[in-house]
Amino acid sequence: MAESIREKAAEDPLTRKGLEMLAEVEKGPWPSHVSELKKGKYPIEAYAKGLGQGLPPWFSGSAKIRCEFTGFIARRTKDGKQTELHFRVYHPSGQFYRTENLRKLLDFADTFGLGSVETVGQTGDLIVPIQPELADRAVDELRSLGTDIGGTGDTIRDSAACVGPALCEFALFDSLAARDYFFEYPDFYDKLSTQLFPFKIKLKFSACPMDCARAVHRADFAFVGYWKGAPEVDQDALRAKIAAGETSWKDLAAGCPGKAIRWDPTKQKLIIEGAKCRKSMNCIRAAFPAIRPGPDRKIAFMVGGHSKGRWGPKMAKPVALLDDYRHAGPFMTRMIEYWSDRSPHKDRLGDLVLTEGLPKMVGRFKDALPGPSTGKAAGGPRIVTSSVLSEEERGAFAAWADAIAREYEERI
Amino acid sequence: MAAPADPQSAPTYRLKKVVPVPYTRNLPDIVRRNVGHWVDRKFHGSGIVEHISDTGDHLFTVKAGGTPNVRFSTETLRVFAQIAEDHGVGALRFTRAGSIEILSGSLDQALAAKKAIEKIGFYVGGWGSSLWSVGSCTSYLTCTTAVVDAPSLTQAIYNQLVPYFTGEIPLPSKLRINVTGCPTACGGLVADIVLVGHYGAAPSFDPDRIRLCLPSSAKVLAQVVPEVQMVCPVNAIESFARPDGSVGIKILEQKCIGCGRCKDVCDHITWDPDKIGVSVLVGGKSSNTGVGPTLAQVLVPWIPARPPRYRESVAVVRKLIDVWRAGAKPGERVADYVNRIGMPAVFDLLKVPVSRWNRPTRLGTGFGVRQFASP
Repeated sequence: MAESIREKAAEDPLTRKGLEMLAEVEKGPWPSHVSELKKGKYPIEAYAKGLGQGLPPWFSGSAKIRCEFTGFIARRTKDGKQTELHFRVYHPSGQFYRTENLRKLLDFADTFGLGSVETVGQTGDLIVPIQPELADRAVDELRSLGTDIGGTGDTIRDSAACVGPALCEFALFDSLAARDYFFEYPDFYDKLSTQLFPFKIKLKFSACPMDCARAVHRADFAFVGYWKGAPEVDQDALRAKIAAGETSWKDLAAGCPGKAIRWDPTKQKLIIEGAKCRKSMNCIRAAFPAIRPGPDRKIAFMVGGHSKGRWGPKMAKPVALLDDYRHAGPFMTRMIEYWSDRSPHKDRLGDLVLTEGLPKMVGRFKDALPGPSTGKAAGGPRIVTSSVLSEEERGAFAAWADAIAREYEERI
Repeated sequence: MAAPADPQSAPTYRLKKVVPVPYTRNLPDIVRRNVGHWVDRKFHGSGIVEHISDTGDHLFTVKAGGTPNVRFSTETLRVFAQIAEDHGVGALRFTRAGSIEILSGSLDQALAAKKAIEKIGFYVGGWGSSLWSVGSCTSYLTCTTAVVDAPSLTQAIYNQLVPYFTGEIPLPSKLRINVTGCPTACGGLVADIVLVGHYGAAPSFDPDRIRLCLPSSAKVLAQVVPEVQMVCPVNAIESFARPDGSVGIKILEQKCIGCGRCKDVCDHITWDPDKIGVSVLVGGKSSNTGVGPTLAQVLVPWIPARPPRYRESVAVVRKLIDVWRAGAKPGERVADYVNRIGMPAVFDLLKVPVSRWNRPTRLGTGFGVRQFASP
């Protein structure tokens, strides 16, 4: 049955056009998603039709899964003949897999799915396309493997952490344990399944200011490792590194964006002024472990970042420096409640922070914080990623791009 | 958690999610005993990192680049699992950027893993001063709002940039590219180069089906604002009642910014496929190095995005990389380079036509943890 639907779909002229395009794409040399999907049972004809027509082939669909309201997305083609259902599955923090565990998940994707996965979606989940008729049973099967379907829609979504202390020497707190903690934090855990909010809520945890989890932009609540004052310098070890030619004080000073570094030639010592240090990690990366983050470790707690919201993409704004990520729970709960009471559907938390103003917003819940609120919010230009152009304007930009394309064609 | 004997009985047990904690359960032994003990790292080429622990352990991670939108067949992932067993400690890790990291116990093992990965057609690289990854949203693979198909565009970009990933051609510093199919920019704007698919014009709607997104009658419309209208940030959608009691909308092109939020709540918003294209943004990053975290800014508001080769989009990406390679100091991310020479200079170098959608504004700086550290 399924095969005949697919064969029939492939007869559509737009689908054929799309399939030809995919054949071209697949040539590589980079390994192709198309080849991977073709190894399984993914409805590639629907994908091809989208490409052929310049419009996505999918419309909102539905799936019959008892007592599950989030964690899966169902699609159907316009004619209703082809469907695409997928689960968003929680990865363990850090996305580490012992191969025996991975194989169990792959067996799951073969038995209940279409033989392919997206290893990490934009939220951070494992995406598994599922056969709709097996979806209900698949939930139980997944749970027997120790994980579950994650968040979709207006709920507390899957959170994400950088690899943290599991593999990285720069980790200032255990970002993986922090993600685990808020998974089980009662107030959040109770809401994992239910769409209760104006829009989604995401948490991200980065163990150092290099922010591999991209918490400053991709999360409503961001936790980033931080230290107060200057980095710690082991002067003997640093002199040894300088003598060995691994680094030089001039490079360290020049690389410091806060101009906090100078060299004391008489004492042969590197001096870093804590007040000027912007935690860029430049000197630490260049001379680790002779230079390492200072001992007064904190967690920079920020709110309101996201790429998808009413007023466009935003960076997170500062709330407080915490001693422990656990201290943020009550504050987050109250802020979410306040936002839920006020914001219209599809307005992110960051949109409300923007319209209310950060000090006012944080001030409402400051008693839920263990210490004072600190930090000064930075501003930047508002970004609109799209544009509405006239025929003429598109023509001008197309001509500009065409000239560059010609330049590169000549080089090949 | 077992299902109740009678599957028809209210399965309320389902409301309790099973969460994969603690994370330590999934760690291979060598990682578990070294959590928090890593003290240093060494690079062996652009795809192998040696992690050095104060316990005396050494672990090598071998990084393989993922397919566009990191779609893998279970067959291929089983091969990766086999490689992790044959040439590693029996574990691997998926990175948030979509790479696969094989964990090996020695450099010899790591090199063997690299060889095995290359044998199945994947590339090892993506660390240090190289192309780390090209992030891609799912677009036409499952999304209803995608304008441009990001995975095939990502493929076209990757096909041309392999030597930057493997480290064969060194770059001034790390390079991350995000390709996203609609103005929502799911992948975010914290990448050095971001391509965002959009309509190129104001969207339109399916006149027959738009009623499915609207109140059923004029009477109901008098009491509520339709969601498709409410979500518009610039009030470019107006709803109205017809004399026959039916309801319709108007999209005001002069006000519309093409953000696609209406499409997000209504499947029946549509567009003219002949006008779609991508905007090109530069200078985003999340790391606090250099100028600190910053959002990418619009350099060009629209260029054609034509599958399967995406001739113009790919050429513009290559051009940007070449300009950056020629002008950047060692270690300078695109954001740091743009910040140093100034956005107007970047516009001049590339001779980009300026419109009201792409003015050469400075990158926003001082974000992230720097907000706690500013003097």
